Amino acid sequence: MVDFGIPIGAGIAFGLGALGTGIAQSKIGAAGAGTIAEKPETFGLMIILVAIPETLVILGFVVASMIMIMLV
Amino acid sequence: MEYAYVNARIRAMKSRLLDPSLLEQLINKPDIDSLITELEKTAYREELEKAGVLYSGINRIEVAIRKDLVKRFRSILTLIKGGDTEAFLAIILSRWDVQNIKTILRGKKIQENPSEILECMIPAGELDEAALTELVKQPDVKAVIDLLATWGMVYARPLILNFKEFTDTGDMLVLEYALDTFYYEDAISKVKTSESDDARVLKNILITEIDINNIKTVLRAIRDRIDPDEVKRYFVKGSPEFDANKLLTMMKTGTIEGALKYLEQTPYQFITKIPPEYIAAEKISAFEKELERYLVKKAISQFLGDPLSIAIPIAYIWAKYTEVTNIRVIARCKVTEVPEKDLREALISV
Repeated sequence: MVDFGIPIGAGIAFGLGALGTGIAQSKIGAAGAGTIAEKPETFGLMIILVAIPETLVILGFVVASMIMIMLV
Repeated sequence: MEYAYVNARIRAMKSRLLDPSLLEQLINKPDIDSLITELEKTAYREELEKAGVLYSGINRIEVAIRKDLVKRFRSILTLIKGGDTEAFLAIILSRWDVQNIKTILRGKKIQENPSEILECMIPAGELDEAALTELVKQPDVKAVIDLLATWGMVYARPLILNFKEFTDTGDMLVLEYALDTFYYEDAISKVKTSESDDARVLKNILITEIDINNIKTVLRAIRDRIDPDEVKRYFVKGSPEFDANKLLTMMKTGTIEGALKYLEQTPYQFITKIPPEYIAAEKISAFEKELERYLVKKAISQFLGDPLSIAIPIAYIWAKYTEVTNIRVIARCKVTEVPEKDLREALISV
């Protein structure tokens, strides 16, 4: 009997992280675009700020990987 | 409405407003030329250069800061398109329509030169530069009102309704109060229909403005010993706390101290702390100044409100308007060699 619970759990860990990242980046990206339109010199800073929510999806990926490696 | 983009742009615009230390430098400039040189180091440089082709001295500053104000407000309006937000922003900006119409009417009454009137215009509202130029060309007050009616402008209605009284008395205040009353009551009725947070923020500011206008009317009427029943019709409706009955009760006390007692336990209690000598001398300008400062402070403090709401555009519009007013005060004081102490008192400090 195949246990689907483990890959589904890993999928949720990764998927929700990605969703959170997407929502956060959409808001930060829009605000960043607005700021760059007025002050182009903030481009570098905006790239960093847009990238910060990536940590969410990376953590999700790590948790998903741990679930898959340790429990399967 | 994508507030993240719009409000980030507005906040970036806010960062270009003059900070207090720069305003201090402007105050310390000895004359108008050094003031222009200092302003050329700021965001006003572009407009100052353009205005420098046709104007010099204080006129150059006046034209440049006015054009910059209009440019900023119009750019906000182009960013905010559609829905309630655009309508709410139009309500805020249409205050300049009212101001422009009042200036034109006053100019026409004293038969001022059209070019002089046009120089005082701030085309930030629905009436753009072309429309204002056409209005200014009209020969008299009646023709201005007729043209507004022909264009289907809502402001024609209160003016037509009160025109007979104006012709009988020759008092421009009749038309000015009619315009103000119409503007605020129309704005409140538009905001009331919406339940959104944006509507709540705007309504809050509008009610403060209405209260302040009504309190000023009460204080002026007490000073000038005007009959309360005559003043009643100049009260603007729309404020839940200061309705006509409460304002009338304030008026019927007959003294400034009596009226001020009714302001205790309200957000306007700060004017009860004005030195007694001003109260005894019935120096209303001191009260008006404090009330205006309160309004400006309250509007600009909206920057601390919800960052994804209309609070940020409202705060910016007020902050920009305050800055322009302060620069005008400084420039005029430099030309007329007003002492620094009086200049500082005249500034709107927030």
